[in-house]
Amino acid sequence: MIATIPSAVLIGVDGKPVFVEVHVSNGLPGFTVVGLPDAAVRESRDRVRAALLSSSLPWPLRRVTVNLAPSGVRKGGAGLDLPIAIGVLVASGALDPRTVDNTAFVGELGLDGSLRGVPGTLVLAEALGRYRLVVPAASGHEAVLAREGEIRMSGSLGAVVEQLAGHRPWNQSAVSVPPSLSSPRSTTAPSGMDLADVRGQRLARRALEVAAAGGHHLLMVGPPGSGKTMLANRFPGLLPDLPRPRALEVTRVHSVAGLPLTPCGLIDRPPFRAPHHGASPVAMIGGGSGWMRPGEISLAHGGVLFLDEMGEFSAVVLDALRQPLEEGQVRVSRARGSTTFPARFILVGAMNPCPCGEGGAPGACRCSQSARERYSRRLSAPLFDRFDIAIRVDRPPVDELVGGGPAETTSAVAARVDRARQRAFRRGVSVNADLRASTLDEVVPMTRGAAQVVEKHVRSGALSARGFHRVHRLARTVADLDSVEGVIEEAHVREALLLRSRRELLLGTESR
Amino acid sequence: MKALCGVEAHAAALAGLPVMTPVRLSKLLDGFKPEMAWSAVRAGTHPADPRRRFAYEARKTDVPEVGERYTRAGVRVLLPDAADYPSMLVGDPGAPAVLFALGDPTAPEGRPRVAIVGTRSATHYGRQVASDLASELAGAGVVVVSGLARGIDGAAHAGVVRGAADVGAPPVAVVGTGLDVVYPSSNGELWSEVADRGVIFSESPLGRQPRPGVFPARNRIIAALSDVVVVVESHYGGGSLYTAEAAARRSIPVCAVPGSVHSRASEGTNALLVDGCVPVRDATDVLVAISLARAGRESEVGPGSSSAPGARTSRSTPNHPTRSTTGGRRPQASAEAAMDAPQRAVWEAVDDTPTAFETILIRTDLTIPAAAEACEHLVEQGQLVAGAGWWSKS
Repeated sequence: MIATIPSAVLIGVDGKPVFVEVHVSNGLPGFTVVGLPDAAVRESRDRVRAALLSSSLPWPLRRVTVNLAPSGVRKGGAGLDLPIAIGVLVASGALDPRTVDNTAFVGELGLDGSLRGVPGTLVLAEALGRYRLVVPAASGHEAVLAREGEIRMSGSLGAVVEQLAGHRPWNQSAVSVPPSLSSPRSTTAPSGMDLADVRGQRLARRALEVAAAGGHHLLMVGPPGSGKTMLANRFPGLLPDLPRPRALEVTRVHSVAGLPLTPCGLIDRPPFRAPHHGASPVAMIGGGSGWMRPGEISLAHGGVLFLDEMGEFSAVVLDALRQPLEEGQVRVSRARGSTTFPARFILVGAMNPCPCGEGGAPGACRCSQSARERYSRRLSAPLFDRFDIAIRVDRPPVDELVGGGPAETTSAVAARVDRARQRAFRRGVSVNADLRASTLDEVVPMTRGAAQVVEKHVRSGALSARGFHRVHRLARTVADLDSVEGVIEEAHVREALLLRSRRELLLGTESR
Repeated sequence: MKALCGVEAHAAALAGLPVMTPVRLSKLLDGFKPEMAWSAVRAGTHPADPRRRFAYEARKTDVPEVGERYTRAGVRVLLPDAADYPSMLVGDPGAPAVLFALGDPTAPEGRPRVAIVGTRSATHYGRQVASDLASELAGAGVVVVSGLARGIDGAAHAGVVRGAADVGAPPVAVVGTGLDVVYPSSNGELWSEVADRGVIFSESPLGRQPRPGVFPARNRIIAALSDVVVVVESHYGGGSLYTAEAAARRSIPVCAVPGSVHSRASEGTNALLVDGCVPVRDATDVLVAISLARAGRESEVGPGSSSAPGARTSRSTPNHPTRSTTGGRRPQASAEAAMDAPQRAVWEAVDDTPTAFETILIRTDLTIPAAAEACEHLVEQGQLVAGAGWWSKS
């Protein structure tokens, strides 16, 4: 007898429908899986057999052949365990074929017959939109997010069989993943961190606010212990909640990567990723053999990628960021195929001004000029160019640390950021950083006085054409934050000029 | 220039051997004429080279060709018994056995000489002081000796060449590399200007790249050439303190320019002052230090008795004509009166070390745009110098 059970596998961040065909015939007892299975799928033979026997279900002592169609696509992951087990039961006559009519299955089996969650259930459920779908209870919240249709959840293979036969009701709600099984890495911003904890640092706080409001990439340069990391950790708190389409994109990527989702399933807060500087190019960009995993830049999609000690990252990793920063997505190509991951994030970098860390201003550090130049070259000019804002962060004076009034809280700043973003949205862009250079003068004009201030900088050679546009966009964000509707005024431009990124910040040379 | 005679070509060939150092060279030439030393080294019989370290390379060297190279490069080869060899170095314990010169080697003769040295990672303040001191001293007929390095040394030479070529004393430089290797390369223009107007000395052969050890070694020549050594800025344990030490060993007075106690670039100089060096505020202090204040004014200068302690007591009156530098750099009273309130607040918030914007904000309590505007205005007026994220007084 033969049975065909629909299921799906992951290709990049997309689900691909797969049919599990099981054929049971007379012959020497055996169990073969064909149709380009990878190691995890081939091992499912043993898991399926053990799970059936532990669930007191019959194992056919006949010849069992499993084909995964279409056979040209490479199949990975353990999510095919459940459809194979159901297929074997149907094909051997232990389960009525009518009960699995138009039903797709996704799930990993334990040797005791329990059902385990599968990474990427969200996108798999999307791919199986036209079927009734049975998923493990542990992944139920993801599947529900994907679509309206009939989602069935269950906890074990034995229960699935009884529930299909109608002897037992389906589980009503998803179970949350026990923390021990979830990845220890945090996906969202560290909670309980408020901007009010940061003493002083008026310029840096303002830079964070402007970066959050305008979607500008931000670089902080300063000696160790000046609070760069502390500031960066509080940055995602300033960003507004993700709109639903963006939240779904983010959730898909996280689901595919097998990272824990929120209890309700949907990730609606901007993610915050802070990879260590030892990260490999593949960890950063995505890829891997067999299973294409999204990299850190894609996990930061919709949120913040924070690179601490940016000078210590390998040059290959840093330069690989350039294309995704420009396009908002990354195309990972391998011999077996290529896939596109989303990667639209705000890049926040932090680094020391020189190898000894103390420098910046001349005379303050002991590094030689050539050592400083070598250090600054670790950040290539094209990558440095992507930063709209670059500021110097210094250690706060002692009396600011011990005394001083309470600083502004995250919620107060976030409210301003949200209003500023709404202004940008009314202009037709999601953030000001996306404003096109050619339309700047038309869409976001400046007053005469403001234009003269910028012009003076351009004439003196301190500002390039690209820098000019950057200052223009920054000035608009500053104006948005100050609730100025109309044209950009002089004060906004001055602030933008102060925040704009300059190569000298790393070299410690005098600009004039 | 006439072709090098045999003695000079042989001396240059000896100095050009690989792994040759000033100390080894003077041992080889001690009691030997260059030609004799050369043939002994070649034959492997030189008593100062028992391990025949140089014999192999010497056999491969074509002496006339070496002489040819120096002639083409316009580089003079000076031996201690030559007429053009700097007279200040004759009898010096560390005198180089062979000295190369680009320019007029007699430039420092018959004039008072002062070394202006300091750190390579100098602050704006240090460079400004070095350049002003050098410019004024050169104008007063004092030869400024320095190392043509980054930072203070370069600023001192730049100060000298700022003046017209026909007035004042010529610049003198002592470098660590070969005279055809401009290091740092950013000083290329300055390098050729110093060679045109004065002289660049080196004890390294043509083609010798910068390497550790040559710079401290050349510092002893800078000290030995000078009547007084002025250290403008130096980190604690910095290289210019070698020059000070070499000067002290030769009983040459060492002066230091005081700096802020907060500035790390002034740690070394402030420590020198604590040790009893003469403080220098302006060119007059230096002229006094070499007992030349009077002579400097009447431009009838001669190599002074370098008795600094006596000179200190004979300090000139405060309204001495040459004492104008410090007063000139401060903003005029009228300029300060022209400042509006935020500008004045910023002006007062910037101290004598580079001040970060954050510090200015804390000290002035201005809004970010207001402080930025005030800073920018003061930079335009030339009262502040803008760096990358910091400001200092000009």
